[in-house]
Amino acid sequence: MSSLRSLGSSHRGITAFLVQRITSLYLAAFTVYVVGWLVAKPVPDYAGWTAYFDSGLVRMAWGLFFASLLAHLWVGLRSIYMDYLKPMWLRFTISTLTAFGLMALALWCTQILVRGIV
Amino acid sequence: MQHSVKRPVYLNLFLIRLPIGGVVSILHRITGLLLALLMPFFLWALQASIESSVRFGEIKALLHTGLGRAAVLLMLWILIQHFYSGIRHLLIDVDIGVERAFARRSAWLTLIASVGTVLVLSAFV
Repeated sequence: MSSLRSLGSSHRGITAFLVQRITSLYLAAFTVYVVGWLVAKPVPDYAGWTAYFDSGLVRMAWGLFFASLLAHLWVGLRSIYMDYLKPMWLRFTISTLTAFGLMALALWCTQILVRGIV
Repeated sequence: MQHSVKRPVYLNLFLIRLPIGGVVSILHRITGLLLALLMPFFLWALQASIESSVRFGEIKALLHTGLGRAAVLLMLWILIQHFYSGIRHLLIDVDIGVERAFARRSAWLTLIASVGTVLVLSAFV
């Protein structure tokens, strides 16, 4: 295998690998927290729901969740594209559209979380 | 890669029997892709629920219809299957459960656990 690629590319992929794994830890913990919270304290009404999102800590935790999620999505989708989208032009096009889509989602997440603050 | 010997190619997908670990692995990808596609709908519902008490009521009513409840349970299964198979893959990354018999059992376990968890959570949906 090592004879097939130049030394310069030998570390490629390790960053994506680590980003995927490390974000997955936060995503898993946050999922357990949200599901556990909803089971323990079902959302009563609108006032209670917005009061929850008034907390700066809660917004920060959700912000980190969205950031981790988008990074995780990028790595996951990228590996799917690399495995199944063989024509280069197709992989490039879909990857570019995905990147813009994820950036749009990032802006949308930000808009939701800063609403009522700025 | 170059092969000196021509190897037979046998890719009839209906005749290849994927081991259970392979099934869970492809399921991890499919559920991951579906979760990615669901994210805009999740953001839409979250934004609407915070926007006003009227929109909050609309979203809540939507989730309490028969179809809404079924959709929530299906999405929960997709999320929880991805969650369990993801944990399985993380453990395999650190060399836990690599041995074949163990890996097969843990693959089955993710399927059983995801359905079980959704059944438990269905009491709260």
